[in-house]
Amino acid sequence: MNGTIFDIKEMAVHDGPGIRTTVFFKGCPLGCVWCHNPEGLSIKPQLMYKSKNCTNCGKCRIKCEHPECEPFGRCIHICPENCLSISGREISAKGLAKEIIPTAQILGDGFGGFTFSGGEPLMQSDFLLELINELKNYHLCIETCGFCDSNTFKKVIEKLDFIIMDIKLADNGLHQKYTGVGNGQILENYEILRASGKPYIIRTPLISGITDTKENLDAIQKIIDDSKWEKLPENTMAGAKYNMLGLEFPLKKTKQP
Amino acid sequence: MHTDLYNFIINKQHHAYRHTVDWNLGEEYSQKGLSPIERMADRFERMTNEEKAVIFPNEQIVFLRTVANLPDCFTEKEWEEIKSKYYIHELGYLSNLSPNYYDTIASGLLKMREDADEYSKRSIDNIIKLSDKYLEEAKAQGREDLVEVLTQVPRYGARNFREALQFFRILHYALWLEGNYHNTVGRFDKSIYPYLKADMDKGVYTRESALALLEDFFLSFNKDSDIYVGVQQGDNGQSMMLGGLDENGEYVFNLLTELCLEASCNNKLIDPKINLRVNKNTPKEIFTKATHLTKAGLGFPQYSNDDIVIPALEKLGYEHNDAVNYAVAACWEFIIPSVGADVANIGAMSYSKAVDTVLHSSLLECETYDEFFAKVKQEIGNECDRICDGIKNLWFVPSPFMNVLMGCNVAEGSKYNNFGIHGTGIATAADSLAAIKKYVFEEKTIDKATLLEAIDSNYEKHSEILPILRFEAPKLGNNDDFVDSIATELLDSFSQALQGRTNCRGGIFRAGTGSAMFYLWHANEIGASADGRRAKEPFGTNYSVSLFAKVKGPVSVISSMTKQHFENAINGGPLTLEFHQSVFADEDGIEKVGSLVKRYIELGGHQLQLNTVNTEQLLDAQQHPENYKQLVVRIWGWSAYFVELDKEYQDHVIARQAYTV
Repeated sequence: MNGTIFDIKEMAVHDGPGIRTTVFFKGCPLGCVWCHNPEGLSIKPQLMYKSKNCTNCGKCRIKCEHPECEPFGRCIHICPENCLSISGREISAKGLAKEIIPTAQILGDGFGGFTFSGGEPLMQSDFLLELINELKNYHLCIETCGFCDSNTFKKVIEKLDFIIMDIKLADNGLHQKYTGVGNGQILENYEILRASGKPYIIRTPLISGITDTKENLDAIQKIIDDSKWEKLPENTMAGAKYNMLGLEFPLKKTKQP
Repeated sequence: MHTDLYNFIINKQHHAYRHTVDWNLGEEYSQKGLSPIERMADRFERMTNEEKAVIFPNEQIVFLRTVANLPDCFTEKEWEEIKSKYYIHELGYLSNLSPNYYDTIASGLLKMREDADEYSKRSIDNIIKLSDKYLEEAKAQGREDLVEVLTQVPRYGARNFREALQFFRILHYALWLEGNYHNTVGRFDKSIYPYLKADMDKGVYTRESALALLEDFFLSFNKDSDIYVGVQQGDNGQSMMLGGLDENGEYVFNLLTELCLEASCNNKLIDPKINLRVNKNTPKEIFTKATHLTKAGLGFPQYSNDDIVIPALEKLGYEHNDAVNYAVAACWEFIIPSVGADVANIGAMSYSKAVDTVLHSSLLECETYDEFFAKVKQEIGNECDRICDGIKNLWFVPSPFMNVLMGCNVAEGSKYNNFGIHGTGIATAADSLAAIKKYVFEEKTIDKATLLEAIDSNYEKHSEILPILRFEAPKLGNNDDFVDSIATELLDSFSQALQGRTNCRGGIFRAGTGSAMFYLWHANEIGASADGRRAKEPFGTNYSVSLFAKVKGPVSVISSMTKQHFENAINGGPLTLEFHQSVFADEDGIEKVGSLVKRYIELGGHQLQLNTVNTEQLLDAQQHPENYKQLVVRIWGWSAYFVELDKEYQDHVIARQAYTV
């Protein structure tokens, strides 16, 4: 079957052991106000527009014959400054495997494995399972928000070698407020992960005034106990991609007094 | 390291001790009818007489240039005459050699004087005289430590680590003062380690105190470098080679190697330029240690691969014991210390010009891509004919003191007298050929006349094909055999075109993968190109992918750029990879970059140079140069202070793409 991805990154060094290749799945059930990959939120292909180099030549508005351009009413192949691109492409699990396996071959012993990130890879769990099946011989890792039904969660992590899971906010109400969903399901999956015996690490993005409060960090510590825990510093470039999607960075709004 | 001295030097306070001389030596020598070597010996004598001994508080390694200029030995008119008779390389003075400092450091200048000719004797006497001025100054300042050192060296051989470092400084200083330039350092750790080891065994130094002394020594390379000549500030050729196999096949990586990596990292200065020889058996830990230096952002170390370089040099006719001893010239050209008089940067061949020429002369009449490429190959041969035939009767100004360290009159040549030719714009040429192959000959979606019109109008006409050629066509660096194999054929064509030729000194021509400043110069010789490059846009530096090519990432790049046959093209010139600073944020990231380098070496890459960049910072530095005086960037074979560069070089650095995490 086909899935939708929005990026493949070679030489990911912070996504698990060794030098890895990370596949970014498109679509996420959460909508964190600090999200720095906003093109990963919607599963649908989106038009990305870099305004910086645009000379307003208007060439992209002239009707073209490319089927991929049709939904956007813009031609993405004509811009001399490369301002337009489509984020999100459909690809089969087999096709994707074929595309990413060469990086493993190039790196040989130096290759760490593949990491599935996003967006939220569990949102396309059938596709993910098929892809995992194509990559059986490699070390596989997921970066997940942990939000999906427990059966799916169990089924997927069983087949993986390493799990990186976020616990962003310990308080259900705050989780609802800042990510759009409560954390009940996530905490339930966390217990499954813990019991699974799989190696894992918990991550918390430190967002100023939201997740980095003493209250929140103490509460997360209580939940995860002696689990390995990584706190990620706030990404200062986080808002950069919103403009390109014609969206506003929600954190900017949130932070305004 | 003494912080006060360091700050004193980087704030250029030592410049206050400088003066200039207004001697018209050329005129005087011309009237007296002095021969070139007499002139060089006389000028050196005057310069050493004019130099004053200046010793700063806490300075461990002394010798400072106090005369900031060096009057020419010849009048302009004489140069014109010389140039009408001879081929003159660059300035006409000797450059890019790797002199044998180390035998002299062991035996002392008095010993070297025994077999020297009268000019060399005179130069030795003069540098000893200048050294004695320093000795007197040391006595006057009550610097017992320096008195002891300067009583021994340079007259006699060094007895310990400190004397060896001071001796090196004197010899290196003398070469610059004589008027030689791009005076490289050679295999420093291999040669100097025995002195350090003996001292460590005796308990003279702790690791820390040895490092501090070495940092002062490294600082000495930066005291006068602003008055050394180059295309831009920083292009001064003070390249140091570390690591590598020795004559017995043992890999050299000793305490001094480690301390050199650390000293460079701690000093954060652009000299000396650190190179590290590695091979497929080099342990991972060494790559990790070296990557700590990469993180410092100086563009060091530059790696070279013994597995590729040594056999390739042997294939070119270098004896095994010489090939294993290779070092680098100012940037990356492989040269042999002591016995090599190769002119490793005598010319440059532009692949893109060859493609452009054939595009305009023959595209319309070619029916197949193979036919077209055969003509490109022929044109590369024609270009090599023009370059090689143009170099006849090479002449250098003889240098008596350089002769002491090279053991012969090196201006006339030595054991090896080969000429190196750079090959520039390989990515632009390969991408252009790939686009022509795909769209013109295979898919036939762009017709020949349209392409020519588009290129000749700088894509004003048929502008709709520009984004296709520029952003959608196959590009070198994506592990795509369609275009990678074209780069292979180009490099092979170049090396084949140079094979079998004999140069005017009886040596051969060596094909290389470097560009030096030609990535800007050659780019301006042609207009737009078929890869969607607009007129006046520069090529990538050295053996790198095109500046605007969309590549998948560094893993695909190292795959694409290790497929070629470097065993036939080993003049030197690295692949450059740029990494964003964030990659090095933790030890884990540093180790992973180290293992990527290791993998590059295992895949058979010949030479690699990594940069740590932060584009946001560079842009800010263009706006507020006053805040970034010490910000260092890599240019083509050397590093420089960003704010001291001309804008076109700054912009090129910014345009290179950095890989983030």
